[in-house]
Amino acid sequence: MKSISLYEEKHSFLNGLSPETKLLYVIVAIAVPVILGGRIPFFAFIAMSITLLAGSGVLRNTKTIVAVSGFILITVVIIQTFFRGGTFTELFRIGPLVARKEGFEYSLGIVLNVLNIIFCFCVFVLTTKPSDMMQEMVKHGISPRLGYVFVSLFQIIPQMTEHTSTITDAQRSRGMETEGSLATRIKAFLPLISPVIMNSFTDTRERSIALEVRGFSSTSKKSFLEDFVPSSADSGMRIALIVLFCASVAFTVLRVMGVIAWLR
Amino acid sequence: MSDKRTGNPWKVKMSTASLVLIPAAIGINYVGKLFASMLKLPLWLDSIGTCLSACLAGPIVGALSGLLTNVIYGLTMDPISTVYGLTQAGIGIAVGLMAWYGKVNKLPGIIVTGLLAGLVAVCISTPLNMIFWGGSTGNVWGDAVFAAMGSQGFLASLVDEIIVDLPDKIVVLLLTAGIYKVLPKSLVTLYQAKDESLD
Amino acid sequence: MAEIVINNLRYRYPETARLALDGISCEIHQGEFIGIIGRNGAGKSTLSQAMLGLVPNFYHGAYGGSVTVDGINVKEDTVDDLCQKVGLVFQNPFNQVTGSKLTVYDEIAYGLENFGVAPDEMRRRIDSAMELLDISQLKDRAPYDLSGGQMQRMALAGIIVMEPEVIVMDEPTSQLDPQGSEEVFRAVSALKDEGKTIIMVEHKIEKIAAYSDRVMLLDDGKLVAMGTPKAVFSRDDLAEHGVVAPTYTQICRKLGIRDREGFYPVTLEETRSLLESDMKGGLAG
Repeated sequence: MKSISLYEEKHSFLNGLSPETKLLYVIVAIAVPVILGGRIPFFAFIAMSITLLAGSGVLRNTKTIVAVSGFILITVVIIQTFFRGGTFTELFRIGPLVARKEGFEYSLGIVLNVLNIIFCFCVFVLTTKPSDMMQEMVKHGISPRLGYVFVSLFQIIPQMTEHTSTITDAQRSRGMETEGSLATRIKAFLPLISPVIMNSFTDTRERSIALEVRGFSSTSKKSFLEDFVPSSADSGMRIALIVLFCASVAFTVLRVMGVIAWLR
Repeated sequence: MSDKRTGNPWKVKMSTASLVLIPAAIGINYVGKLFASMLKLPLWLDSIGTCLSACLAGPIVGALSGLLTNVIYGLTMDPISTVYGLTQAGIGIAVGLMAWYGKVNKLPGIIVTGLLAGLVAVCISTPLNMIFWGGSTGNVWGDAVFAAMGSQGFLASLVDEIIVDLPDKIVVLLLTAGIYKVLPKSLVTLYQAKDESLD
Repeated sequence: MAEIVINNLRYRYPETARLALDGISCEIHQGEFIGIIGRNGAGKSTLSQAMLGLVPNFYHGAYGGSVTVDGINVKEDTVDDLCQKVGLVFQNPFNQVTGSKLTVYDEIAYGLENFGVAPDEMRRRIDSAMELLDISQLKDRAPYDLSGGQMQRMALAGIIVMEPEVIVMDEPTSQLDPQGSEEVFRAVSALKDEGKTIIMVEHKIEKIAAYSDRVMLLDDGKLVAMGTPKAVFSRDDLAEHGVVAPTYTQICRKLGIRDREGFYPVTLEETRSLLESDMKGGLAG
């Protein structure tokens, strides 16, 4: 089955929650640590996301996503630890490079924020079916035509990227060079991408017609063959999230006003 | 390339053809990025689809193509990419407006559009880089300069992003203009034609 | 009562010089099977798309004359309104897949969802369409994983669940292998037996000869001839218009075997029955 969605069909706690609730979780998980400040809220939410993911049996699917950002995070740590300007406290040396405590701590803040975003995103992305996302969007008033555009991406993109290796082989067999100097490689780009572009536009015209003759532009109220029904835990979860958000805002305001002293 | 079009570019009716163009544009963005990395080019080349759709169907379609490219990438590979949808949307709007007013016709105009798109990208991406990554971009050339400038501050981050984005966008616009010129008329009219009567 | 009335239809695509359709007039009645033949570029696809208003509402361009479906002028109505009366299936099965659904069953439901049909009614229609087109066993498969013939039948199912009175098919088997083609023609036959009005553009002359009640021959945007298959295929100017007659017509022409009206038979069955009746009463012509 060709779809780039990371969603896995299963019965789990997270799968049963509505897309709206999970999206709310993402917002709360990102915002609350920023509002509260300090390292601990980040750790707390990362732990919560990981627990939720593990509980719904999808934790292992986070590997690829973490790896993609993980690589950049490593570069950030290196850049900040070894090259951050300003006054510094030396941690250790490797040859001419000096590891700086301030740089390292700064990069740690970045790492925590990014990891938090990644894991709470996974809570949403790994357990929500694209068509349910779309249903939610349409029910909230987004044009169903835009909803279609969104949902179709998960299958149309892999359709288009799938044939790239075939195209490359075909062009190579016609004598096109794809390795060598920069100039050679640059020249290879246009002949590779042009057929993809031309074909996709023809396909687009035909697909537009196919959709049009099936009522794409109809202004009738839409119906859905499969209605997504959230589990009983859904509203409870939503309330908990809103409470958490308001509490952290209130806490921060009170702290700023000096009502609550908090030693750091 | 495209002649100057009449009317308000923000009020173009979103026909079915224009909307269905968006997934194709996004696919082209993806494929561009794939080929560029396969050929080990020092450029992203991941916004050709955005720019082409902007030229064909206007700034709104261009913006949506750009935005959704990053949203999908964010939902399937790399969550932080989602936010950079704003950058791609900006590029779509910039190129769409330039094309609408007929400025992407000759070489000077094309290069100016490329520069403009690059600047828009830099202006939107730099603050995002600072918020999420502490100013670096993940690109080896730009980051090397960033590190040399002290790994902090707006200026260093700006230079990092300029190195990454400006050449890339200029090349993208050149490619886009080249491809647009050879698109069959029957395709272009789908997005730009008017009704006439024979009676 | 006529279902589709075409009156002096003329059309020119945007930014082109010649007329793609040049003064076509005809009437198509309920339950008829109309075959449209002609060389490439004759205007067959354009005509088929004019039947539901894609020409001119989708393509724009220069339009003259009229096409009326059940009394409604297609120029004055929207495609999403007309598509409930006239369905369209065309050549490339891949491009008729919406890409927004994960199973064949859901894919077929797409049009019904757009029109707000209730889920129970949707299921009833989808089940019966899949039954008719012999694709019930595919209901849980992924749409892009099907063979060409299966995909085309899925596309057809997606159209007939909207219960149009007329179904237009533009070269539905051109991109399919022989098995896929056979599957589609079997489906077409089933639809014909249901009494649907079918308009089919095809290059497979034998099929046109076998299925059609009337045949339209197009060339250079003009309607050269419209009549029963026998009448059209017996014409002497077929080759001029880029059309090859069915095998049995060619054979009978060579052998000088005509029926009472002076036409050549177009299928094996017609040839055989003509020969049998002639043998009883002596050869004519």
